[in-house]
Amino acid sequence: MKRAIGIVAVGLSLAGPAFANEFKWAGTTDPQTLDPHAVNTASVLGFLNNVYEGLVRRGKDMSIEPALATRWEPIGNGEGWRFHLREGVTFQDGSTFDAEDVLFSYQRASDEVSDTRSWFAPVSDVKVVDAYTVDILTNAPNPIFPDSIANWMIMDKGWAETNNAALPDKENGNYATLNANGTGAFKVTEREPGLRTELMPNDGWWGEVEHNITRAEFTPVQNPATAVAALLSGNVNMINPVPIQDAERLADSGDVKVIRGIEARVIMLGMAQEADVLKYGDDAGKPNPFLDARVRAAVAHAVNVPAILKVTMRGNAEPASQLVSPAMRGYSDANSARPEFDPEKAKALLAEAGYPDGFSFGLKCPNNRYLNDEAVCQAVTSMLSQVGMNAQLEAMPVQNYWPELREDNYDMYLLGWSPGTFDAEHPIRFLASTPNKEKKLGSWNFAGYSNARIDELLPMIQSEIDPAKRQAMLDEAAKIMQDETAYVPMYVQPLVWGTGKNIELTQRPDNFFILRWVTVQ
Amino acid sequence: MLTFVIRRVFQSALVLLIVGLVAFSMFRFVGDPIDNMLGQERTDADIARLRTELGLDQPFPVQYMKFLSGAAEGNFGVSYRQGRPVGDILLERAPATLELAAVSGFLAISIGIGLGVFTAIRKDGFLANFIMSASLIGVSLPTFLIGILLIYLFAVVLGWLPSFGRGDVVHFGWWSTGLLTSSGLKALILPSITLGLYQMTLIMRLVRSEMLEVLRQDYIRFARARGLKEKSVNFHHALKNTLVPVITVTGLQLGSIIAFAIITETVFQWPGVGLLFINAIQFVDIPVMAAYLMLISVMFVGINLIVDLLYFAIDPRLRTEQKGAK
Repeated sequence: MKRAIGIVAVGLSLAGPAFANEFKWAGTTDPQTLDPHAVNTASVLGFLNNVYEGLVRRGKDMSIEPALATRWEPIGNGEGWRFHLREGVTFQDGSTFDAEDVLFSYQRASDEVSDTRSWFAPVSDVKVVDAYTVDILTNAPNPIFPDSIANWMIMDKGWAETNNAALPDKENGNYATLNANGTGAFKVTEREPGLRTELMPNDGWWGEVEHNITRAEFTPVQNPATAVAALLSGNVNMINPVPIQDAERLADSGDVKVIRGIEARVIMLGMAQEADVLKYGDDAGKPNPFLDARVRAAVAHAVNVPAILKVTMRGNAEPASQLVSPAMRGYSDANSARPEFDPEKAKALLAEAGYPDGFSFGLKCPNNRYLNDEAVCQAVTSMLSQVGMNAQLEAMPVQNYWPELREDNYDMYLLGWSPGTFDAEHPIRFLASTPNKEKKLGSWNFAGYSNARIDELLPMIQSEIDPAKRQAMLDEAAKIMQDETAYVPMYVQPLVWGTGKNIELTQRPDNFFILRWVTVQ
Repeated sequence: MLTFVIRRVFQSALVLLIVGLVAFSMFRFVGDPIDNMLGQERTDADIARLRTELGLDQPFPVQYMKFLSGAAEGNFGVSYRQGRPVGDILLERAPATLELAAVSGFLAISIGIGLGVFTAIRKDGFLANFIMSASLIGVSLPTFLIGILLIYLFAVVLGWLPSFGRGDVVHFGWWSTGLLTSSGLKALILPSITLGLYQMTLIMRLVRSEMLEVLRQDYIRFARARGLKEKSVNFHHALKNTLVPVITVTGLQLGSIIAFAIITETVFQWPGVGLLFINAIQFVDIPVMAAYLMLISVMFVGINLIVDLLYFAIDPRLRTEQKGAK
């Protein structure tokens, strides 16, 4: 709740000298909770990275660096990892950070009601060795475990228990939904869900301060035109995202800066590989052509990705050859070539597969999930029709889209994937493994792609300690998926942020906005 | 009289129930909230668990009955998105919308009547004709476009007014007001003009045509012949008699000002219930959507009920018909 009586300090247009380094920013999504274990989405974790900290964190180049742990090493032959904790760290309410908080945060974050539970699937036990040493034991050797917990944020045991928030409560909310008490560089001083969140620098922070912000305020602004106007009029100092169609104009206007980069998200086409028959279009009910790898390869050759990038994405994105972008760990350099745009070859492949006259099918597409998603699907539809594949396009809001995919209501669909661990193993686990509910594999593999060798490689990749051997297996998996055209990866989605001319900041490929790298001039 | 009131109240309650039923049967088409509530790494078991917990696995009449029994006790459920009671959220957001609606209603009525009288008196004047033509803009341009144009002109180009938000607010208990701070007042200007423009032009055109009608009447001529001052004739004798239809229309428009605030609130990121509703749709926040729709229909039904009762009180013919029927 709001304070009973109290006048909020500073107005939109009244920034006086005392607030010279006030920083305001706007984004489309308000973090739905301040509880770092309740919801595993980029909007929540990205925001809370400014308030809470994990044992490790990601630097400006996405590399893993020490945070609440100063160093870590594997235990024995891969039985787990030992983390040495930073001493002298306090939470924002003044209580001390130690190993008990780590154990508590593990129990809290891995509970059945926590959305972050999947991060701890490989963990068998967590042991407090002494006040500043913690052992995290894993079922099998897990070389990338420290990478996979960069967003696992540590909460104070005493604070959570005192406030009856020992477990996250997503459905009904609790104290931790509206309040935060981390060790991070900023603390939440006011929170009005859906409206605004005020942050102040944490004076007791252990790290070296790089920013010069005295006060920060986040406002969710859903309407893109409103956000652009707010940036141009100086009511906010930064917006994310800038609509792609406005990026060029804003950059040229000279009043603001447009910061471009590529996100970790790869946009791809998926094709039904389990269904026996087509479900949409004039050929509905006929045998499913996408079962044939040659037809899937024809799709890859028929889609003119460079043209989509130039026209639909206005030169802001980069082509993708595999399920992860080159910035991710485990990217396969050996398989960095993507299928050439070659309609003749596509036609030849279709003829070879027994469809010289093409066929008709249904393409499902979201219209509010990825940047310009519907426009991309329209472009894909017209490109496929050039080689005789007539897609019947149906675009819908994402809240209707996922249920459709779950119910297998598509012949072809558009999907974007951003690997939470920033590692090439992640999409293999979620998109390429044969779906298996018990093992929790392939939960986003709607298409039902299945390859025995990939299924065999995944646990080996997960437990391989030697980086060279691990990469060799990732290369093999990438090659198999390319050869069979498991998916048609098209491009890596762009990041386009806009800032005032006096703002310096760092854009990270995970689209997390890190306040402690912002300077106001 | 009493039977009339009881019958109207009963009809209103029935309308509310039907609105709720239609709303609940539509929610399934808005989408599935589950994917918004769970992250990327959710499993099928998580989906099933959450669905059961929220009661989404039940048929919609059951969900509706649950909502009704909760609402009867004043409990509108917990927002999927915010994890807080919907009643609290609506109470928090309502002052912003009500204040915006009140200010735009006030602007629409005062400016609308003023300009209406002016254009009626100076029927053939250049300025009056100009105002009449300009008012076509208010009637024909969609709200969001007017909003964007105003933002562009006054916030981006001139930099006089804030482009979004409500400015600073002062809290009195659960009520929050932006009327007591300079940034709050500044922030009110553009959205209230945007929201009230249509009603303003409507009232203006209505007053003008009624006024022209009245000014032709004999008693106005007699008033003039008696040598009364022009001002007294126009405002005292003529205007008074044009106001009856104006009041009826204004009353009905009051509801639509609040309901149509959705668009204005989206354009200006105005933190009211309309914006809350739009966000709820995007997130498939069913408890918030349900409560908002019920609230709006209660308001419309309530206003109509009052209007009906007023007619009954004002118009003697309704009463005599009742008696005649007996």
